[in-house]
Amino acid sequence: MSESISVAGDFLSLLAARHIPPVRSEVSTDAPVQTQATTVFAFQFADGVLMAGDRRATAGNLIVSDRIDKVIEIDTCSLLAIAGVPATAFEMARVLQTSFEYYRRSQLQPLSLPAKVRALARLLRDNLPMTLQGVGVVMPLFAGLDQAVSPPKAQIYFYDPLGAQFQAVGYAASGSGALTIRSVLSFQERYGEPRPSEMGLAQAVPFALRLLMTASEFDSATGGVNPETRNFATIKVLRTSGVETLSAEQQAQFLQS
Amino acid sequence: MTEEPYRWLEAIENRREYVREQLKGGSPAFAVRLPEGILLLGVGTGSSKVFELFDRHALVALGHPADIEKIRQAAIDAAHVEAFTRASEDVSLRRLVSFGLGPQLKTNFEQIFSAPFLVELLLAEVAAQPENDLLVRLHFDGAFQFLSSLALVVAAQAATESGAQTWLNQSLAGKSARAEVVDLLLQAWWCLTENKSFVENLPAEEERRRGWRAAVNGKTVEIGWLARRSPRPARFEFLTLTQAGL
Repeated sequence: MSESISVAGDFLSLLAARHIPPVRSEVSTDAPVQTQATTVFAFQFADGVLMAGDRRATAGNLIVSDRIDKVIEIDTCSLLAIAGVPATAFEMARVLQTSFEYYRRSQLQPLSLPAKVRALARLLRDNLPMTLQGVGVVMPLFAGLDQAVSPPKAQIYFYDPLGAQFQAVGYAASGSGALTIRSVLSFQERYGEPRPSEMGLAQAVPFALRLLMTASEFDSATGGVNPETRNFATIKVLRTSGVETLSAEQQAQFLQS
Repeated sequence: MTEEPYRWLEAIENRREYVREQLKGGSPAFAVRLPEGILLLGVGTGSSKVFELFDRHALVALGHPADIEKIRQAAIDAAHVEAFTRASEDVSLRRLVSFGLGPQLKTNFEQIFSAPFLVELLLAEVAAQPENDLLVRLHFDGAFQFLSSLALVVAAQAATESGAQTWLNQSLAGKSARAEVVDLLLQAWWCLTENKSFVENLPAEEERRRGWRAAVNGKTVEIGWLARRSPRPARFEFLTLTQAGL
């Protein structure tokens, strides 16, 4: 019935068999000023992993939007946070979403966490021509539920632009505001009370919002959080029970309490 | 050479008889449209009968497991490529069956030197509004019907399938509780597998209920649920008999 594919359940092989490129990566010397998305981070808290991002996209010194979502639910137990060029990053997210669901439905079992982590690395490697040229650079964060351990545990991974993958012990950040975020997270993890990994949701959410506020003080490309204008962050939480998205209203309540 | 067309017709008829003979004894399967979603049910012995195809789409089938797998895989491939190249909302059962599965099954059936698919299928698409739900009956020869009835049955023989369908549509009218619906479907399943007539001498309700409870021992009752409303794109989930309220 279907055309033969080289790897069972591999959506990229299916696309290749039908001559559909998953992510276009033609090299051009006349690349326009790119839209960039910053800043995203993830940290372990008491219930799992909290992943957050500001909502600003910039192009050079222009603010393109203050309403984009950089933390994307890939499936019921994986999250992706994108920093870099949204045109490429959103397409990568769509490839991953379709690939993971395709595998689960066609093979009647979910993809393992290592395979999911490598799938993103493979997309980054395929994007190498764009990366080397300086256009289309994507430096994502990935969080997934490791079902191979008992009890299942949410894990955080970060990547370099060439596709090398690294598992984060407690936290990871990417984008132009990442240095500030990492510094604060490092301080809090070492000297803070409570440490991020000990925080409940009620503490972790205001902490995440304040991290973005701090990063925006030092980085103009980080949108920050402004409760007065109802401009909050994108925050998603990955627990063993699945993914939860925290709305602006919930974030406001956590920040006030 | 002049007798070739007659040979072809005979070969086709032989294939039809062969497929029907092979499908005899296949365990019937069902789909029912409910206010909160679409329920699919099959009773299997070792191999699955109910499958998720895409976000709002599912399949129940009877037949040879390897053939069901091929068709399931073709449907999943087509749906995911469509969703990727266009959007998830563009994946429609009408197009999937009319332009994909139906013609492919017909072509395969008419290629008399290759093995025919030994399958009978029922596909479902849940919509935002119950009146827009779609149930499709797809046959081994590629013929298909889009139906708007409450319940749909896939069974090995057309006459008993039609009888069960009529009885179920009457019995299910006004019922929306999943437990009641599953109980009635399993009663119909037991009557079909025991060759009980739905027109005359239908066993009493208690006997039907005792019958299915005894008959499913050692078998797997697969219940698929396509939820009409969900915060997630994928609406399909499997339910156990307990989750269904039995």
